Amino acid sequence: MLKIRELTKTYGGNIQALKRISLDVSPGVFGLLGPNGAGKTTLMKILATLLEPDAGTVEINGFDLISRKDKARRLLGYLPQDFGLYPTLTAEQMLNYFAKLKGVTDKEERRALIDALFERVNLSGARKQRLEGFSGGMRQRLGIAQALIGQPQLIIVDEPTAGLDPEERNRFHNLLAETAGEDAVVLLSTHIVSDVSSLCSQMAVIRGGSILASTTPEQAVDQLKDSVWEATVPRERVAALKARYQVISSQMLSGQARLRVIAKGLRPSEEFTPAKPVLEDYYFDLVNQRERAN
Amino acid sequence: MRNPLQTPFAAIFQNEVRLNSRRVAPYFMALLCAGNALLWWGWGPAVGRGLAINSDFVIAGVLPIYSFLTLPLFTAVFMADPVSRDFRDGIDPLIFSKPISRGEYLLGKFFGNFFVLACCQSAFVLMWFALQAVHKQGVTTQQFKVIPYIKHFLVLVVISHFLLAAFYFAVGALTRNAKIVYGLGVAFYPIYITYQVALLSSLPRYWKLALDPGVMNRGNVHDRERTIEWMNQVVVVYEPDLIINRVVVILLAAIFLTIVYLRFRITERPVKVEAFSVLNLTEGAGGFYYDPPSTEPSLVERFEHHSHEKVLLPGVTRATAGIRAHLHQLFAALTVEFRLLRAERSFVAVMPLAIFLSIFEVAFYNIPPDVSYSAAYATNTAKLMLLFLLGIAVFYTGEAIHRDREVRMEPVLWATPAANNVLLLSKFLATLVLTCALIFVVGIVAVAIQVLRHHTPIDLHAYFRVYGLILLPSTIFVTAVVVLANIVLRNKHVAYVFSIGTAVGLFYLYSTGYNHWLYNPLLYQLWNYLDLTGAGSNHSIILIHRIYCLAASVACLALAHILFQRKSTRRVMMDGHLTDRGWSILLAVVSITTVVGTGWIISSMHAVALP
Repeated sequence: MLKIRELTKTYGGNIQALKRISLDVSPGVFGLLGPNGAGKTTLMKILATLLEPDAGTVEINGFDLISRKDKARRLLGYLPQDFGLYPTLTAEQMLNYFAKLKGVTDKEERRALIDALFERVNLSGARKQRLEGFSGGMRQRLGIAQALIGQPQLIIVDEPTAGLDPEERNRFHNLLAETAGEDAVVLLSTHIVSDVSSLCSQMAVIRGGSILASTTPEQAVDQLKDSVWEATVPRERVAALKARYQVISSQMLSGQARLRVIAKGLRPSEEFTPAKPVLEDYYFDLVNQRERAN
Repeated sequence: MRNPLQTPFAAIFQNEVRLNSRRVAPYFMALLCAGNALLWWGWGPAVGRGLAINSDFVIAGVLPIYSFLTLPLFTAVFMADPVSRDFRDGIDPLIFSKPISRGEYLLGKFFGNFFVLACCQSAFVLMWFALQAVHKQGVTTQQFKVIPYIKHFLVLVVISHFLLAAFYFAVGALTRNAKIVYGLGVAFYPIYITYQVALLSSLPRYWKLALDPGVMNRGNVHDRERTIEWMNQVVVVYEPDLIINRVVVILLAAIFLTIVYLRFRITERPVKVEAFSVLNLTEGAGGFYYDPPSTEPSLVERFEHHSHEKVLLPGVTRATAGIRAHLHQLFAALTVEFRLLRAERSFVAVMPLAIFLSIFEVAFYNIPPDVSYSAAYATNTAKLMLLFLLGIAVFYTGEAIHRDREVRMEPVLWATPAANNVLLLSKFLATLVLTCALIFVVGIVAVAIQVLRHHTPIDLHAYFRVYGLILLPSTIFVTAVVVLANIVLRNKHVAYVFSIGTAVGLFYLYSTGYNHWLYNPLLYQLWNYLDLTGAGSNHSIILIHRIYCLAASVACLALAHILFQRKSTRRVMMDGHLTDRGWSILLAVVSITTVVGTGWIISSMHAVALP
């Protein structure tokens, strides 16, 4: 169980990256969803012991992560948003190095673990290859492999699928789903809503350094039951509809506009038909509500 | 009219200069060239003979030798991979998708790198030029001169290396394999010397001059047939043979560049394609297309689907606390750091060069044996090696300390349960192992030369004594100081400037007579072999000085650990035990106390010795 209480971080005296954030995260994949600049990476860096918060506490299984960084690192697996690897080493040398740094001293155990990790991330064929020749997807898979070394209790994965092609993204989702079944807290930070909807059992939306909501994807979608509508309307009516309703998406199709709107409790007009809500609807609804409130 | 500074050629040229400004090799080379100039100026063949150091004859006589001695290897390092680097880093599609011609690309690459190379080479003449203002006993200086430096440097150094650079560039661009070029760089000496001995030595002088691309067969400063007055007054005029030689050299370089232009292809080499096709990494993803989120399988579906093929990770025992686990981590980090150091491109040039120049005098000159041949060999090689040990400590430690940040490994490494001292000490020890390896190899080569020249018997104790008492503690000290400087300054270029500036300032002080033991950690000019055996007058002070030096090294490392950017805890004690930070503070206090104590003893002994 990960407990975050009143976590605050300010950069340079005036940029408040985190505003008294509190979260409870139980084992499984937890999605932290937010736009760029929301404070996700700051939170991830604090949890990875790389950044000192101004105030607040973080506990993992009752253990204080802020004041005992050296011990907290034994429980951590971290895949940063932007990371590199020593280009002149092979994948096997790299993983072997991380395993040793994580305290896997027994040679036989280390070899078995590395074999299994390569198998799991589907890089067995590339284990002897130098890292300079790795593609973005291969690097991400090696990144998650190093994060999994040593049965970590908290796995932090920061924007792992940004920049990956659909094929690699799918493969990476599979890897995270497998990890979710191993009693660890997997904290997935992303700005891609579909990553959360397809992977996470719990989620929170962060924006401007504050948590806007903490829920499960199912509950989030349930909140919009009977509130999402779709219709194809003439292009000239779009502006008027946008003024009256919250338009989630609009697509142009042969001179007409295909609109998806949120209207809670009433049908916008005759041509609108009910649509099945998805997590994107919830996310945009939440963010728009906050913008209107501001 | 198109602005020449806005052309693709100019863009590539500028980019190459910018890229080189962020590499270690140019700074190392410039430093080496400047150091070389200092040695030729203060301790070269013109000194003590009344031969003016800035006379036309000396400048024109020394530059070809300077050009021959160290520069071909650096030319190979600079010109080996400007093109292959783009392919290696995957930037080639970005460049070749722009409206840029093959000629602009290749010429921009070539001249950008050659410009940096020539700038580094010019450190020699710039140093000589500046030294005209410095007075030293035995060094004769005529009135201030400018033109001979520029003229002879361009004609005798730059043009020679223009040919070499074009050749190396052509090989590097066409093979896209830097190692072949490095091999050719190392092979330069045997090939060139064989060419001189087997072909040119039997030819008349004008043919020797015309056919020698390195212009080594001109008059030299050891010429005993000429009077000193004549040499000081003569104005060197280039003979037609030399002019023809230079024109031919430029034409040959142009031919190499034309060959590259004609043969260069922007497509990937077939062998690369094969290498990548071996990896079948698309397994399990065939036919997958991105679907909207609503149709993607849920977590449960995904997990159930994959559970039958999921690879279970075996349980492992982990040890991250205790000395044994600590040493295990340190050894792992040291192995990787050393492997990364060995992969540095400049390593290929620097190490052979350091070995060659360190044994240069014992191999080619007669070293008078004061005590024994072994003592003379060990002393001579130790003195010549010192500059390289300093350079290696400064540059490679800087590289090691900042490498993790530069390759963006820092967040991953810093999140592991490795202690700060593991991360720091591994970098310190890797450089130290490297310098020890250099000392060891030079020692072996020196012993081999002793045997070959029949300067026996071999006394290994002499080598252990000199290298162990003088070189090793000095290297430990310099490396520790550089670690601290890099941690405090947090920028390797600033740390380079600080280190080099301090070293130059100290050597200047030593050469002008301000050579006190307390600020001479390398014992430069303060020891001779007899002192180390106990027969000399400075035996005790040297031993205490070594403790002083090592204690200062420990203090630097402890301070570096305390100031290291990665924080684990601010506390000194935790759970009734000292934390890593607590140990560092304790170690810093003890070592600084030792430095103060031994420093005081050295001062007292020095004061007693002075009258």
